[in-house]
Amino acid sequence: MYLGIDVGGTHTDAVALSEAGIAAQVKVKTDHADLLASVNQALAGILKTVSPKDVRQLNLSTTLSTNAIVQGTTEDVGMLVIPGPGIGADEFMLCRDYFVLPGAIDHRGSETDRLDEGAARSAIEACRAKGVRVFGCVGKFSTRNPLHENTLGQLLGQKGAPTADGGSDFVTLGHELGGRLNFPRRLATAYFNCAVWRVFNAFASAVEKSLADLGLAHVRVNTLKADGGTFPLAQARRMPVQSIFSGPAASVMGIIALCDITRDSVILDIGGTTTDIAVFVDGQPLVENDGIHIGSHPTLVRALKVRSIGIGGDSALNVLADAVRVGPNRLGPSLADSVPAGAGLPAGARPTLIDALNATGACSHGNVDASRRGLAEFAALHSIRPEVLAASAVEAASEAIYKATQELLSEINDKPVYTIHELLEGRRVAPGRVYLMGGPASAMKEAVRQRFELFTVVPEHFEVANAIGAALTRNTASLELFADTERGVMFIPALRHRENVPRTYSLEDAKRDAMNHMLGHLSEMGVFADRDNAQITHATSFNMVDEGRTTGRNIRVKCQIKPGVAFVLTGTSAGGR
Amino acid sequence: MHEAKNSLGIILFPAFDWSISPTHPEREERLLYTQDQLMEEGLFDIEGVDEHKPGVATREDVERAHFCFPEVEAVATRSHLVAAGGTITAADLVMTGRHKRAFALVRPPGHHAMKVVHGSRGFCSINTEAVMIEHLREKYGVKRIAVVDTDCHHGDGTQDIYWHDPDVLFISLHQDGRTLYPGTGFPTDCGGPGALGRTINIPLPPGTGDEGYLMVMQRIVLPILRDFNPELVINSAGQDNHFTDPITNMNLTAQGYAHMTELLAPDIAVLEGGYAIQGALPYVNLGIALSLAGLDYSGVREPAYDAVKHGQRPQLAEYIERLCDTIPDVYFHPPKEPADGFVSGDWFVRHKNIYYDTDGITEAQTEELYLCGACRGLLKIISRTTKNPACLGIEIPLHACDACRSLGYSIYEEAQVKEGFRYAQFINRRDKEYVRHGF
Repeated sequence: MYLGIDVGGTHTDAVALSEAGIAAQVKVKTDHADLLASVNQALAGILKTVSPKDVRQLNLSTTLSTNAIVQGTTEDVGMLVIPGPGIGADEFMLCRDYFVLPGAIDHRGSETDRLDEGAARSAIEACRAKGVRVFGCVGKFSTRNPLHENTLGQLLGQKGAPTADGGSDFVTLGHELGGRLNFPRRLATAYFNCAVWRVFNAFASAVEKSLADLGLAHVRVNTLKADGGTFPLAQARRMPVQSIFSGPAASVMGIIALCDITRDSVILDIGGTTTDIAVFVDGQPLVENDGIHIGSHPTLVRALKVRSIGIGGDSALNVLADAVRVGPNRLGPSLADSVPAGAGLPAGARPTLIDALNATGACSHGNVDASRRGLAEFAALHSIRPEVLAASAVEAASEAIYKATQELLSEINDKPVYTIHELLEGRRVAPGRVYLMGGPASAMKEAVRQRFELFTVVPEHFEVANAIGAALTRNTASLELFADTERGVMFIPALRHRENVPRTYSLEDAKRDAMNHMLGHLSEMGVFADRDNAQITHATSFNMVDEGRTTGRNIRVKCQIKPGVAFVLTGTSAGGR
Repeated sequence: MHEAKNSLGIILFPAFDWSISPTHPEREERLLYTQDQLMEEGLFDIEGVDEHKPGVATREDVERAHFCFPEVEAVATRSHLVAAGGTITAADLVMTGRHKRAFALVRPPGHHAMKVVHGSRGFCSINTEAVMIEHLREKYGVKRIAVVDTDCHHGDGTQDIYWHDPDVLFISLHQDGRTLYPGTGFPTDCGGPGALGRTINIPLPPGTGDEGYLMVMQRIVLPILRDFNPELVINSAGQDNHFTDPITNMNLTAQGYAHMTELLAPDIAVLEGGYAIQGALPYVNLGIALSLAGLDYSGVREPAYDAVKHGQRPQLAEYIERLCDTIPDVYFHPPKEPADGFVSGDWFVRHKNIYYDTDGITEAQTEELYLCGACRGLLKIISRTTKNPACLGIEIPLHACDACRSLGYSIYEEAQVKEGFRYAQFINRRDKEYVRHGF
């Protein structure tokens, strides 16, 4: 039995399921002051009908790290930064205890300026004097050569090992975050990883204790990431930043579990406040080229490509001149949800998209009468006929969703490419289907179909697709390998693996090594990963030439475990089969 | 996070699958480290700095700027068409107001490609700037354009294409032709009879450093630009005057480049040469990009830099000062007669011998311009090479007068009937008619 819990902004959804279908589903209100209580409540609900011993795995998607950052309950981080030449690091000052140190590594990974260890020592001392216990060490081009970051790690006494001057509770070295080149993003990612580390670990320990108390100690626990994959809780404890913004990914993965998607498609998750738009290419969800932004800071955290717009079931209707619009502001729940049956409308009642859908007869949600009356009142206020207002509002919502989808598609089709082959063979993404989920999905189906002029599907169980997605999402992993045969070095930053390679080391060797290291690492963590789901996503080899002679090869390989689900639930009915 | 003062669009097209030959300077690896540097710096995350995908230039785009023999597809590889297309994209970004400035970081380069193209010379086949300029004229009606070529080699291709064009001011700063390929670009070469003083050559002595380049910018280039008052300034931003470049002898640094770019403030910059791909390009390109965007570039410093070793020798300042005293006259008081060519009947005639070093082709060319008082004049070129027998190019210019237009048609028709041209190309810019003959 697979358990999935999605702690969302409004609700916490949980499901228990097996290949036979859904065995239990629970929806509770999320208590933002105590997320653990919400998780416990959801677990307890599931265990009413499911026996603990049948549960093999729990996948958890939580807003914990996101909330900690938004609410400012993170802890102070000591940042040790080695920018070298180029854009100065003062531009990226993220926190008070931020120290810029002399030293430089260049794009090939050569040390062009030594790290000033004296300056590093006094920076560390200054942090310790203020009681800072977690540190991020980030150097420009550390993914080519981690020498300086490693030295700082040793000075700090990594992995909590005590040093003469007191040690550190936690250290993030920039290159551990992956091999991608982007110093400012590496900085921000290391910072947030440190900042939420303690909060996340306390929560992880509490969840493990709850599981033990509920007889679920044997359960393998994974955490959802924003890239449509999971990683083991033990690893999440070291990389809590990866658990951020996993909510939209849970929903997208839910659609994969519920529908057999094989071609280019659009996924629309119409929620209360927002609609999340995702695009599938050949049945695969697209991953964002760049990482997500946390606050105003771009990071290296990989995410599925999801575009959010401010249109949802609770978005208020507006009339400006003669144009009817929906959203982007949300003025509380719809009249259908907020007005008790038989009660009068509050003064100045503002109908929402759900009310408009009730009025057109697309659905009959909650207090349909309140919706109709509210719409009539609001329509009279703007001298429009109520049925015109309702129809225009629904049309405006689908128009806005359509427009945002087209923008997303053209952005995908216009992304820069670097070879003639890619440019001339460049395939354009052209969706052939729309999948809808979220509260108003069924009600919006017809309007969306008409605007997109595409085959439109609302899958079964769409209301708990997010929890289903959480439950069934597989582990993902990715890594970058960088080799320079002139220097005789191969380096996999994410695994902190560096080894000497012969001059004959080739692109094929690099591809094989990248795959083996990725799969080997996963199995070390007790994760079974099917080799069929592993793929090389980027592989290039450049001849390096000096004075007319080839001196070596500069090799870059990226590989990943594709996002996917453990199994697909298509064709099963609510009760299972 | 900081924000660009001038919004900047960058077209980064490193053509990672194209080279002249595996160990040629113009090879796959050339922009690899530049791309690494720009990525690692997070340049494209800066508010107002965006990366764009290059377009692909069409045959017509190329034929607006060149006579290609036997035809465009025979002399231009796909990479050339993408490089030219990338510069067109850069122009569109600026003209549509999407960005204030644009930087086309594309390869291969183009500034040695002349009006007639039989093959590749100086690593160039298609003049990317010229293709862009003709696009700017055709699509947006831009009239006055200045091209400032800061590549270390004389931009002889761009000079050749705009030799007779008074509306394109071409200024080239380069290492003195007596010491470097292509061996041309002296102050006396200053344009054809209708465009005297609209080609300005500034040959600099080997060893010129930041100081010398900035002096030339301030004392020659900027005053001329102010007077010419172009609608657009284009910088052919070659980077081979860097002190680490393997095939030249100058002493310019990344700081010098960035400062020069700040002074020049071009609307569009286009990469040309530059072959110190590890020690110079990553830093110089970063410096140029930051400078174009109006961002702080003071931290950009190449690791090999040594203030003493890479300074400019004091004697050079004196020499360069003399250039600064005399060269502005070429623009402000141009000579009455062109240094090269003669008048024959109603035609101005130039004979040229051109060597295509990259492809090993020798060309003998006769260029004739009809001395029309009403328009820029009909252009007729007869070219013979070791590769192609007699070729004819006829160009009716943009805004041609009726007389030049009908003269063009009659010469082209006559040539088809009588004379033994193996290939002929007829370009009618006025009516957008592009015809080839002889296949």
